[in-house]
Order: sequence, then C-alpha cells, then structure tokens
Amino acid sequence: MLTVSSLQKSFATDQGRLNVIDDVSFDVPEGQCYALLGPSGCGKTTTLRCVAGLEEPDSGRIEIAGRVVYDSALGINVPTHQRPIGIVFQSYAIWPHMDVFENVAYPLRVARPRIPKAEIEQRVMDVLALVGMKDVARRPAPRLSGGQQQRVALARAIVRRPALLLLDEPLSNLDAMLREQMRKELADLIARIGVTALFVTHDQAEALSLAARVAVMHKGKIAQEGAPRDIYSQPRNVFVAEFLGASNILDGRIISSDGAQALVEVGAGQRLRAKTPLPAGSAIKLLLRPERLSVSLHKPVDDSLRAQVSSVGFTGPTVDCSLTLDGAPIRVVAPADTPIKAGDEVWLTPLDRNGMVLAA
Amino acid sequence: MLWQCARAGGRRAHTAHGSGEQVDSLALALGLIVSLDPGFLAVVGLSLRVTATAVLIAALIGLPLGALLALKRFPGRSMVIVVVNAMMGLPPVVVGLLVFLALSRAGPLGALGLLFTPTAMIAAQTVLALPIVIAITRQIVEDLWGEYREHLLSLGLKGVRAVPTLLWDGRFSLTTGLLAAFGRASAEVGAVLIVGGNIAGSTRTMTTTIALETSKGDLPLALGLGLVLIGLTLLINAAAYGASRVGARHAV
Repeated sequence: MLTVSSLQKSFATDQGRLNVIDDVSFDVPEGQCYALLGPSGCGKTTTLRCVAGLEEPDSGRIEIAGRVVYDSALGINVPTHQRPIGIVFQSYAIWPHMDVFENVAYPLRVARPRIPKAEIEQRVMDVLALVGMKDVARRPAPRLSGGQQQRVALARAIVRRPALLLLDEPLSNLDAMLREQMRKELADLIARIGVTALFVTHDQAEALSLAARVAVMHKGKIAQEGAPRDIYSQPRNVFVAEFLGASNILDGRIISSDGAQALVEVGAGQRLRAKTPLPAGSAIKLLLRPERLSVSLHKPVDDSLRAQVSSVGFTGPTVDCSLTLDGAPIRVVAPADTPIKAGDEVWLTPLDRNGMVLAA
Repeated sequence: MLWQCARAGGRRAHTAHGSGEQVDSLALALGLIVSLDPGFLAVVGLSLRVTATAVLIAALIGLPLGALLALKRFPGRSMVIVVVNAMMGLPPVVVGLLVFLALSRAGPLGALGLLFTPTAMIAAQTVLALPIVIAITRQIVEDLWGEYREHLLSLGLKGVRAVPTLLWDGRFSLTTGLLAAFGRASAEVGAVLIVGGNIAGSTRTMTTTIALETSKGDLPLALGLGLVLIGLTLLINAAAYGASRVGARHAV
C-alpha cells in the first residue's frame, strides 16, 4: 500500500550536510496503522513530509496505492495535492471562521473538477457521522474542545477518501489527561474507518498502543522495526531499549555460552543467565526493565542479583524503588505491598530471560 | 444662520481673549454641532465622503496587492516590503506635493482638470492610505499562510487561489488595518490643503477648515470641527478595538 524505498534527504547546516533521512525503507500493508517513533531530530517528521510531498527527498522511491509518487531515478515527483493522501496536521489547522461542517466541506468545495453541492453535503455528513460529530455540525470552530478539534481534523483529512492517512504528532496538542482518552478514541476511529495510516510521534506509549507496526528512528535511520510487543520486549540496541521505556542498563561480559543461553557477569562479579546468541567473551549491555524484576529479601534462585535499597517511593499501586547494584544505580517498580525499606539488602530476579542482552 | 453667528462670536472671542469668551466659543461650537448647522455639516460630510472613498479605493487595490506580496516570491521582494512599510510614514505634505504636480496643468494628469476638486483630495488620501492597507494585509496574510500553508498546499490551493480564504479568515485584523488607514487619512491636513485648495463650499474638509478658521480667529467653528474629529477618532478606535475583540473570539 505504502512502500518507501532507500529514501535519502540531507540539509545544509553550519557543520556541512546533515543526513536527516539516511537510507530509510519500509512497507505499510493495506489497512494497517504504522508509526514512525523517535526523538526530535531523528528524521521521522521529514520522512512523513516526504511521503506527503511537502518535502522533496534527495533520492529514493515512494509508492502509494500502486502509484509511484516519487522516484529520483525516473524523475517523478507528484505534487502533494495529487497524491492520494489525507493529512492531519500537528496544529490541526482548523479554520476558525468556519463551523464544523464548513471545515470538513472545504477540501471538497475547492476540489477541481467541482463536486455538486448535494454530494458535498452527503459526504460531509457521512464523515461527521463516522467521527461522531454529526450533532455539532453547525458549531463554530472556536467553540470546539481539543478532542473535537482533533476529530474535525481527522474528518477533514478523510473526506476526499484518501488511500493513505498521514498524521503528524496527532495527540501532542492535547493535555495529558485528554491525550490518553483520545489515544483510545483515535485507535478506535482508525480501525473503524479502515484506512491505511502512517503517523509520527515521539511518545512511545502512543506508538505502541496505536500502531500495528512501529519503526523506531534514530539519526535518520530506522533503528528497529516490528510489532509493538516485539520491539518492546526484544530491543535490538541500547537506544531502542531506552527510548521505549525507563530502563536499567548495566555493562557486562559473557562468561560462557551454549549458543542460545549465556552466563553473564555484571557489577563486581555477579552472574546471571540470559538468552543470547552472542559468543563467550563478548562485551554486552544488560537490560533490566524496572517492572520486569522481582524483589525479594531472600535469594530465590542461584543467579539472582544482590542490591541495596536506597529509597522507596510509594505511588499508590506500586512502589518506585532506587537501589544500587555494586555501586550502579538501579530502578525497580514493584507491587505496593513489597515489604522492603531503605537500607535493606535485597535480591533481584528478572521475570524473563529474553531480550536482556544487547550488543555493547 | 448659526454659522454666521458663530463667526461673529468667534471674532469677538479672538479680539477679547478673555477666558469667559473662550467658554462662549465652546458653547457656540457645541451649538454648531447640536443644531446641525448646514454649513458645518457640509464640511463634515465632505470630509467623510473623501476619506471613505479613499479608504475604499485603497482597500480594493491594497488588499489583493498585500495578499499577493505575502504569497509570491520574487527578486526584490524584501525591498518592496521595506519601501511599502516606509511609505506608511510618508509626510502628507510631500504626498500632497506629488499629487499636485501630477494633477497640475503641466503635469502628466493635468488634462483631467482634477486639481482643486474633491477627486484630487481622494487621490491624495488614497496614496496616504494605500501603504497602510498593503503593509498590514501583507503581514496578516503572511502569518495566516504560515499557519495554513500545508493544509492549503495539500488541497492544491496556492498563490491567487489561496487569497480569498486567507483574506476572509483575517477579516477582523484586516478591518483594524482599514480603520487605521481611515484614521490617518481623515486626520491629515497638508495633502488635502495642497491638492484641494481649501475652497469654501467645495474642497473644505474638517482639518483644512480648522487650520483656516483658527488663523482667521473663528474659534467656535474650529473647535466644533475639532470636537467632531476627536469624536470620530474615538469612534474609529472603538470600532478597531471591537473588531479585534470579535476576531480574538473567532480564533481557535
């Protein structure tokens, strides 16, 4: 449905040319929601803008719904309004002088060849019904809540029936409470519309919960791509692990290995088993997710790690604990009834031995 | 007629210089306003007609021109913007002089015989109002274009096709700009004095009449017109404030 191949884009800066997009390729199948996730400056927004035709890449190829819209080798660059896309802008860009209906009707009113009035009316009302805004069709835009504005922006983006929906940081305009609610609503809407969607976000929770597939971008490249669960539980490198959630990362070394499972040494000679294909002698990074460690006062298994509790913060459902493991700071999020206090010596045991070992 | 009466009173005020006489002048001035003296009204009417026409013409030319200046990229664009902005501060007498030269019998438009007519005054005030309209429109449309550029581009609307939507969206701010232009045009003396000639019953505006009558000593008439001008300024500013308030309520 959307195929991006070997996309390349650089900008001139004071320090010479900077590769904003460096050989990016990905595929979004029909009907799927795909997220480009990464920190600011990773190239995700530029990638989206290239797909939209708002930015021209240096080289590569972009195909939408079987039609090549950009190909540097063939010299093809279809202007943005001729691409089969709908865009939800970060600012929503809703016209303040129009009501809900007129905002959604605008793309149809300015379309050439002209669309008959009755058809515009019908299509706008259909789309408004789809996003649950039919009852407020005549409400002036300035009187809309943040969530309603988002729905109007979405309705306006799909009213021309695009093959591909592009969303640029669709929830960043909303406050934290509303964002969570709208995240669920947006996921619901995209599923209901059944449109293929590509969206850009810096919020990992947003990407993991909305998208069927996520590409984590870093310095213009796709650092890892996969289903949300897979990239969360099996990050390929330290960047992905840290970006997808609060993580403890320790330096370590593989002592011995049978090719599938290895004995890893961290801290001052503490050892534990972890699944990895890396050979003995490899320097590695050990990933311990704060919520994937069990804490106990007595050593439960022979390869538990010894640590000292520095502080315990009660948050309601959990306790957020700071510990040190042979001098290295470690954070653990444990159930609220975990019987530990500052100064205790405790044992940490990973709940899962997969995805812990990252290449150094 | 109260008009003559005011003149007589004014001369007395001028010669006597007493503070009681000045209070008399003020009373006579208010009398002129309240009694709707025909001569007085003619001056006010001509002023408003000349300025309103000038601002209307300036709007018809300036709104599209300002919008195009905001949206089009061409060599020397920055230069044009600087010149237009600078022309907002053009001294009215210089504008008057230039229009005078253009319309005088030996000038390029001399054959039209427009010098010392209300039309000449409209021309001068249009020249004064136009840079304000262009500059403010350019700024407003450019800001809106920045905000809606990509949305419009994604619909295939650029350049001239984007102008109507952007102007309509900015109508409240643009109204404020037009009122500023009206304020500048209605308050100036120099240009209309030069090209209009301040001919009684024909090209006398509020400002030129105030200048003349003050020097002649007819304080009540000058004061009366001054009060109307102040009232007009207040009204324009109230309207501008109202427009910006309504505009703010319409902003998302």
